[in-house]
Amino acid sequence: MNSREAMSEASRREVRAGLQPSLARLWRYALVLSRARDVADDLVQATCLRAIERADQFTPGTRVDRWLFAILRSVWLNELRSRRIREGGGFVDAEDALTTDGAREIEMNITASAVLREIGRLPEAQRETILLVYGEGYSYAEAAAALGIPIGTVMSRLAAGRAALAKLK
Amino acid sequence: MSDNDAELVALIDNELDESARSALLARLAADEGLRQRYDALRQTSAPLAVAFEGLLGQAPLARLTAALPQPVSRPSLRFAGLALRQLAAGFVIGLLAAGAAAWAFGLFGDRDNWRSAVAQYTDLYTNETFSPLTPDAASQAAELSAIRARVGGDLTPENVALPDLRFATAFLLSYGDHPLGVIAFVDPTGAPVLLCILADRAPDAPIRAERRGDLALASWSDDGRSYLVIGRIPKQRAVALAQILQPRV
Repeated sequence: MNSREAMSEASRREVRAGLQPSLARLWRYALVLSRARDVADDLVQATCLRAIERADQFTPGTRVDRWLFAILRSVWLNELRSRRIREGGGFVDAEDALTTDGAREIEMNITASAVLREIGRLPEAQRETILLVYGEGYSYAEAAAALGIPIGTVMSRLAAGRAALAKLK
Repeated sequence: MSDNDAELVALIDNELDESARSALLARLAADEGLRQRYDALRQTSAPLAVAFEGLLGQAPLARLTAALPQPVSRPSLRFAGLALRQLAAGFVIGLLAAGAAAWAFGLFGDRDNWRSAVAQYTDLYTNETFSPLTPDAASQAAELSAIRARVGGDLTPENVALPDLRFATAFLLSYGDHPLGVIAFVDPTGAPVLLCILADRAPDAPIRAERRGDLALASWSDDGRSYLVIGRIPKQRAVALAQILQPRV
């Protein structure tokens, strides 16, 4: 096998190996973006398929989880988001999507529940930035690169999110 | 308030450079109101962490895992388009060329010549023939199970695990009217080494070694089956591999 083929094989292997361990975090990101559990499931599945199709584009040895998040974001923006908006309705329930499973409240710590509900009410841009920085540990610079925005915008979105949460008591 | 907020949050997140940090700390020291705002914002850190952790725990892992695309082996090999019986579960192997076809149609009816036949087609294999195949554990177990069902023997992934060799594929052929199982391994360079099992009801025979061209063969018969280890390896290695396998399979 020549070295180009060996590189492709390494890419495919690392991508495939990276899918399962990233599933829960991909789902969390998908739910924060879509605020709908069925859409989140679809988004994760579409992301995994796309990742496998594009595995040759992954550079072996780099962070596969970040690469998968980028794919998920792209699938959301280019495909599922407009479908979600067209299907409309349910936006009234969207803010509860992080704390209910459609039928009933999910049992959790009261504070966590209040925080998630508040996060569900934030505009998508703020929700997403907060998830990447505070949920996934992206630095401001990494978040700015992932979202294609200046670092100053990252800062103001995070501040707006924290300010909204600070009002909860 | 919001101008201050962004800077305060950057301080909380340790994202301010040294000079901005010093300047803000100096302002905080002098401004009670600003300190209170800083505390209020800082206190959202722990609830955020707990909330996101909780959300992670809600992920429907079983459902998501079940929905993962299943692996498909895609060997980059071409079919010779010949009617060779094979039962490898789930995927198609296109490996064989004209030499293999000749013997597979039973031109060699003689039991002793099966090794000649195997040598002829093994001679056609290169380091690229099997190396693209990278089955996972489940595929390996399934393929070996299919072989075991037709030729017998104790063929499991553990029993056919060999030093410095990686399992690539296993498939079924026939020689005359006997089922012939082929288990293909590759060494780190991709060079193929095969273990062939012919259910020919032969009497027991001890390991014997031979060379044919640049192929080494080590063969034996046991329990109604004839076995052959073959590859472009030293004769001693073929014998050593045979000695490992004989008590196991």
